[in-house]
Amino acid sequence: MGPLILCGTVELDALEKRIAGLRSEIRAAKAAGDHATVRSLRAELRKTERAWDDALEPEPEPAKAPLLPVREQVHQALTLLGVPTAAKMIVTVSEAFFAGHITTSQLTSLRRDEEKSFRTSPYARPYYLCAALTSELLSPARGLLAVSTWPLPSRIIGPLSPRADFLTSATRIAEHIMRLTGAGEDASPSAYRLLTRMAQNIPGAVDGFDQADPAQVIAAAGAELAVHEESDADERGEAAQRAEQQLNEVTRLFGAGLKTARTA
Amino acid sequence: MTRLDTLRGPAAPLDHNARTIAALAVNPGCDRRALLDAAGIDKQKTATHLGYPAPFGQSPFAITRAKSFDALVKANGCAHLLRLLRHTLGLSISEASYSDISDVGGNDNHQVRHTRTRALLKRAATDGEGAGTLFDHPLLKLGVAGHQVYLEPAIIAFQIEGRFHVVEIKSFAVIDDQADAGQVAAAARQSAVYVYALRALFASEGLDPDRVSHDVVLVCPKDFANHPTATLLDVRQQLAALDRQLSRLTRIDRILDELPVGITFDIETQSPDEASKAVSTVDARFAPECLASCEMALFCRAEARDSGSTDMLGRTARDELGGVESIPTALGLADGSRSASPEQTEIAEQLRYVRRIYTEAVA
Amino acid sequence: MSVISAYARALAVQTGRAQPVATVRHVHLSATPMVFIPLKLAGEAAAPLAALVGTDPANPRLLVVPQPRNRDLRFAFMAELADVMLPYVESFAGVTETVEAKTPYERSSDAPQLLVPNRGGIAFTKLLGRSTRFRRADGPYPVHPSVPVLGQWLTFLAERAEYAGSSALVAMTEVLALHWATGQSPMEDANLATQLAWIAPPAGQNGPEAALAAEDPLTSPPAGPETHPDFDGQVLDHAIRAYETSNSPAQVREALRTQLEPTWTLMWQAVRLLRELPEAATVDARWAKDRDQFTRETARLADGGFPRGRIDGAVSAAIRLADLESALQTYEAQRAFDDPLVMTEHRVAGKAFSGEVVAVDATRRIVPPGKTRAAPRPLVTIRTSDPVRLSPGKRLSSSRNRKQKTEIVSIARDLVVIQINDQMGRGSTPAPGSVPEVGEIVCYAELDPSGGQRPRLPSGEDTPWTHGGPPAPYVPTDEDAQEAWS
Repeated sequence: MGPLILCGTVELDALEKRIAGLRSEIRAAKAAGDHATVRSLRAELRKTERAWDDALEPEPEPAKAPLLPVREQVHQALTLLGVPTAAKMIVTVSEAFFAGHITTSQLTSLRRDEEKSFRTSPYARPYYLCAALTSELLSPARGLLAVSTWPLPSRIIGPLSPRADFLTSATRIAEHIMRLTGAGEDASPSAYRLLTRMAQNIPGAVDGFDQADPAQVIAAAGAELAVHEESDADERGEAAQRAEQQLNEVTRLFGAGLKTARTA
Repeated sequence: MTRLDTLRGPAAPLDHNARTIAALAVNPGCDRRALLDAAGIDKQKTATHLGYPAPFGQSPFAITRAKSFDALVKANGCAHLLRLLRHTLGLSISEASYSDISDVGGNDNHQVRHTRTRALLKRAATDGEGAGTLFDHPLLKLGVAGHQVYLEPAIIAFQIEGRFHVVEIKSFAVIDDQADAGQVAAAARQSAVYVYALRALFASEGLDPDRVSHDVVLVCPKDFANHPTATLLDVRQQLAALDRQLSRLTRIDRILDELPVGITFDIETQSPDEASKAVSTVDARFAPECLASCEMALFCRAEARDSGSTDMLGRTARDELGGVESIPTALGLADGSRSASPEQTEIAEQLRYVRRIYTEAVA
Repeated sequence: MSVISAYARALAVQTGRAQPVATVRHVHLSATPMVFIPLKLAGEAAAPLAALVGTDPANPRLLVVPQPRNRDLRFAFMAELADVMLPYVESFAGVTETVEAKTPYERSSDAPQLLVPNRGGIAFTKLLGRSTRFRRADGPYPVHPSVPVLGQWLTFLAERAEYAGSSALVAMTEVLALHWATGQSPMEDANLATQLAWIAPPAGQNGPEAALAAEDPLTSPPAGPETHPDFDGQVLDHAIRAYETSNSPAQVREALRTQLEPTWTLMWQAVRLLRELPEAATVDARWAKDRDQFTRETARLADGGFPRGRIDGAVSAAIRLADLESALQTYEAQRAFDDPLVMTEHRVAGKAFSGEVVAVDATRRIVPPGKTRAAPRPLVTIRTSDPVRLSPGKRLSSSRNRKQKTEIVSIARDLVVIQINDQMGRGSTPAPGSVPEVGEIVCYAELDPSGGQRPRLPSGEDTPWTHGGPPAPYVPTDEDAQEAWS
């Protein structure tokens, strides 16, 4: 283990020892209630940290392929999944299938930013990343992102929708893997790992600790989905009708309720 | 209770949670703690003001781990949880519906969430079929010594033609089917508070409280990875202990009656010395175990040490010394410099003997 | 706790210093013990964070995992730990001695001894063993080949620690508590710094003053395996982040060194204190058992032994329980016979007594029950002031000859009459010295140094169906090697 030895490491080590020492001293001064010393120590800590920043060898920029903007990568992942999805899963799918580099923290303000953009000039963009609506109150479902071009019922979350959508996304991921292998390419190991993790929570979708077989996942997910489908579709359909009647353009995309512009 | 308000002073009452309520049952004999908790006094601030800050704290790593495990269990429509509940409770495939009560249409006010929780649970209990299976971030309410306390268990699971189960998610590991006994015990005590509150809710809605199971589903990571596994915990004992302790709190009047009128533990208007004198008028019942569970422990320990109380050596030592309350007394009985009262004759004889053979053996 | 130790604690409070509860050392202390102080990451099952380890007080080796959530770094840490521990462990395998027995066999002349600060250290050692012994050097999640070997040894040591009287893996707070009673509670004694403060306060301070000072986590950081939450939040968190940016572990190493070094000093101070005590008579015999087990384990591993399975089969579990119980009985008895101060606990409880022999009937012969011929059965009358709570017929052992079996014949006020049943030679009269003489001070106790009889248990293949039937033999699988460690 251990990084490559860079020149300047000795200086870096000394600075780091000093920083660790200062932190310990600050902790002691805090415990003794000596605020004056804490302040002066903190000032010295900041100075030392700046010196440390300077001493760091700048990392050479690796040659990277030009990246899509964050919203495009999110759109790409959601299009594969086809259902409203939480940030963590979007990031995982993006990394597994599209070599994406987005992080969950980049998605926290996405919905709010998209709503602002929509309000400023509605429909100016071909699609918006929007909310899914809870069936009962048509308020934005916590933590989920959806695409504005999807039909309204698929953007409604009824009681069975989280489970149904999970089964659907597992199916879509399995299908995508099969398309790749059918075309002579292969899915990445992380794609298979993702499918396997999902399959472990679907009865009959995978055996023990084996890697999941896409065809088996599709069959098993479909079998359970059949149990929930009708009830889920009824609930969503009815809620969609209400939404058409009660909500305006903005709230139909971003949800109704006390706080309409919520972070994802 | 205005006497309790006087006792607390101008500060707002501290918010209880399941952990602090469960902790009430740990030292039922301590009047001082019962009074401080009943009045909603911040024990940490009080202890600090008195010069004995409590050495408690939580590591940010532990907090992060707990949060991330909780998120994992509930991710994707509670995918892991459904797998576990299908296995441990025998949930059928069709029982998979999920409601999130962390807010109501964007409104996360406690009262609003609580009202919605009651409505959803009542509907599930009376409608049965199609009425909901998993209730995430439910908000329960419990009356504790005249205050209403909001409590938030991880999940409540409902099984058709079955019962309601409290689900607790904890990030300590189960390794080879065994988990740290102390942590499991703490989880059991905490979950019992939720079961208790849920049963109270049912009773107040005219539903049978026994429909809330005394079996809690405890979800933990398995072995060294993050893979969730579930166990059923029977919390009947903890429920009984809680019931006893909570009803004891309602008899706080007894303790208050013995206090001087107008006494206050308030730390904002009183000096540490004055506050210390006030707190000392109420008896504590110090045991070393307090150091792990009560913020006032160092203050009470200093008190025990100053008075030479055998409490400072722990319950077992005190019992072995025949329940004699003070160390100088015990040693005095042993060397004959103190004469024994009628109740102390037996222990005095034993202590004299102990002193003799100990001294012989050490020589 | 007994009334003796409670009294000793009370005395400690009065005198301001810890009081002895043993006059000899009941634990083997190696000439070169290895001190091991592990730290783990809060909130995780068995995520090592750092350790200070070594056999030389002047040369501790510091091992650190700069990003404790990184699996590769964890296994690198374990490989480094193996680099320190395996040579130490294996160095004892070469030198053996011949044991005289019906069938003589070879046994290691010495064995490794690991000293950890407290019971948490033992539990963590066990977890480290458990989380590494199934790994493999090949396959999908390979680790350095020394790692599973270390795992097996850590597991072995942790298992030895379950046997009362074993000295292979020892928690210092527990050993100190065996020999000294402090003026604080047993619960507070689990803090090595405060416990030592009572036993050996620095010059100019008494026990309680030193103990209070030793509760300050800034001067006496916790002995682990848990770290202090304030340290985690105010120092460690930042240091780990710095590592992630700069790839230099210096900050993390420095931070963790400050949390380990004070405990290192305390551990060696405790070792010196224990060495000052003379060794108890049976320590050697118990250490020989540790050496036996070490020899066996060395041979087993050399033969390519598989790591122990996760869970015992029913028969082996029952055998293990019986062995543990037997070891406990033996240990309790030996400690009491080795040390009159320990024996006082049993005397207070009425299970042992000490006194002067006032009469002996050495020539008495009777026909013992179940036998046909008369045999010597001397009677000894002892005057004692101890509160004897034994009844006639009770079997006792004697301190002057632990193998000699005796039983109580009668007790009347302060006179106890016992009958001697064996260890008198083959003659028709007792061999000289085998029976106490008038005027001798003797001690008899309801303690069995031989550990009692093990119940007869079926072999593994005959495990009854009520206990799950015969267990399948354990063969490590790919799953075990791939077991996630996240």
